[in-house]
Amino acid sequence: MRKKAIILSILLALVMDQAAHAQEPGFLNQLRIGFGGGVNFAQIVDLEPYSIYEDLSGASYTNDYSDIFQNLGSQYFVQIEWFYKFFVVVLKPGTYTYRFSKHSEILFNNETVEEEIPYLLRYFSVPLEVRYNLDLQRFRPYAGGSVAYSHLLPSLDASNETFIRSKFTAGAVAGTYIDLRYIILDLNAGYRFGLHNITSKADRFETGSGETYAQDDIMLNGLQINLSILFSLQKQKQYSNVECFY
Amino acid sequence: MSNVSIDAMKTMKINIHFLSVLLFALVGCEINQDEIKPEDGFMKIYNHPDEQLAFFPESLVQMPDGGYIFIAAVKDENADIEYPYTSLTRISPSGEIAWTSEYDWLAPTSKLILENGSLGFVAMDPQFDAYVVSVDPGSGSVNGQYALDISMPLYAYSDAAGNLVVLGYDYVTHSSWISKYNSSYQLQRSNQLPINTDLEYLVQRHLNKTGQDYPFFVGEYSNSSGSGYFVNCFYNYTLRTVFLDGSSLSATGDIYSFQIEEGISSVIQKSGSIFGLTSYYEGNNYIIAAAEIDVLSSGNIKDLPADPLYQLTYKAPVMAGSLETETDPFTLFLSQTNDNSLLIYQYAMENDSLLNTHIRKFDEGVEVCDFIQTADQGIAVLASIFTLGKYRRPLVLKLTPDLFVPEE
Repeated sequence: MRKKAIILSILLALVMDQAAHAQEPGFLNQLRIGFGGGVNFAQIVDLEPYSIYEDLSGASYTNDYSDIFQNLGSQYFVQIEWFYKFFVVVLKPGTYTYRFSKHSEILFNNETVEEEIPYLLRYFSVPLEVRYNLDLQRFRPYAGGSVAYSHLLPSLDASNETFIRSKFTAGAVAGTYIDLRYIILDLNAGYRFGLHNITSKADRFETGSGETYAQDDIMLNGLQINLSILFSLQKQKQYSNVECFY
Repeated sequence: MSNVSIDAMKTMKINIHFLSVLLFALVGCEINQDEIKPEDGFMKIYNHPDEQLAFFPESLVQMPDGGYIFIAAVKDENADIEYPYTSLTRISPSGEIAWTSEYDWLAPTSKLILENGSLGFVAMDPQFDAYVVSVDPGSGSVNGQYALDISMPLYAYSDAAGNLVVLGYDYVTHSSWISKYNSSYQLQRSNQLPINTDLEYLVQRHLNKTGQDYPFFVGEYSNSSGSGYFVNCFYNYTLRTVFLDGSSLSATGDIYSFQIEEGISSVIQKSGSIFGLTSYYEGNNYIIAAAEIDVLSSGNIKDLPADPLYQLTYKAPVMAGSLETETDPFTLFLSQTNDNSLLIYQYAMENDSLLNTHIRKFDEGVEVCDFIQTADQGIAVLASIFTLGKYRRPLVLKLTPDLFVPEE
């Protein structure tokens, strides 16, 4: 609690600091604000499997997770960009939802019971991206890196309790801006690497929510595809043959 | 360089500073879980693919390496002998199976005996004669067997001095039979408590897991009135807790209830003449968290002030025991509820204050069989669970010590 309060205080101070700097001339001219959304495909890396079942006859139980392209999730975010020359710093705070499922089997002589446990993890995430873009007039392709802090939002799903709240990712992004004069589209794809195990080791075992299982130590990676609409606060660039006067 | 460019450079530096601090703050949020080890807390269900087997866990001990061994009675639907055979399973400190072994000894009862690196259990042969069977805890192989000259063993208890106290049923004299053995399993003293009625059929059904499971148990007490044992057994038409003198094994007092339909389900001595008890009568379960009991007199359980435990299952098995922590000692009562939860009542040792109630919910029915304090001052619970709602299987639940330490 104390640590959270300290962090919140730091963030608040920084936001106020930024608000003060925002009054400086030139800052707004380098700012773009918009919103966006997209889809993601979660990829689960099983760091260490755990099973709640042990077999007295010597058999072993295994788990596996659904493949990346079966795990369709989505995200919605606000996009704030500050650019300087060829560099763009991007914040995309928003809701990022990941879906995947775990498959396991319980073996009996005359039947094999298959369990499929669906997961839905909804994070409030604050990705920070640094991009290097090329100015090709209307199209400005870019590539860059990202880091993100995500906080797992509460849900009615009991399995949600088997995960720790925070999640850190690093990743690579690539895409292009499409300048439509009054709005700028940002079409991008990125891959986020989970930086740590997200399973709560103290709450690994779930028994009373309709499913009985032990949560593996897992990392949550994901492929994201996003489309954003940005509004520039600077004067619009002129690409067409029709002259505009300001 | 123009003024505009200088301003832009300054702004960029400020923002890089901002982003660096933000990143530092965020990275500082990461939860370090390295201190949580798999052996600190785990839950395991020990399944067997044979649907026709039913496992009735009895007792659990922790080994010096931090692992555990548990014993279960295994009832096979297709077996020629109606009594369950014996199964021992050794598991690692985090619950993985190291070995499992089966024995022809029937109806294993009671606590496992762990002394001087040797492991033993009490069971009977097909003629109902009780034996101590000694096994190598490293492999599960049998080291020896010792006849106890007692029939139909119902419970065995290894006391603090290393003596073995065994409760049996004598189907000839219709008596409860209590015998005490030294650490070499040589008979020291024996006593029979007449029941005055033939309960052999009920005892058989208890042993072969087809009838009511009676709460037979043995424990020990020590106070100003002397030291001895309390034994929950049939005596004088009723199921009652009998206090026995430690040397002569003669009955000094008892707590009785109505015939054998009602009874005491657990007893623990808290201090001196203060005992904690649970009981069931008139369809409900009750707890007496702390009551003064005179071990030299006879009294009715209904004369003791009791709190109802409506949530527990019908005639619920209850395991009572103590938990010694670095801060305080506690009394724990473990049982199960009608909504498939495992329940732990944590009481102060010195009085009847309920400090905490720990609940673990399951999807299937559970039944508590035993619990022990572990070396790390947590507890390990042995229970049975109906996997898929159908197959009775052993379950081991290891709970961390911090669960029982009251928050400041």
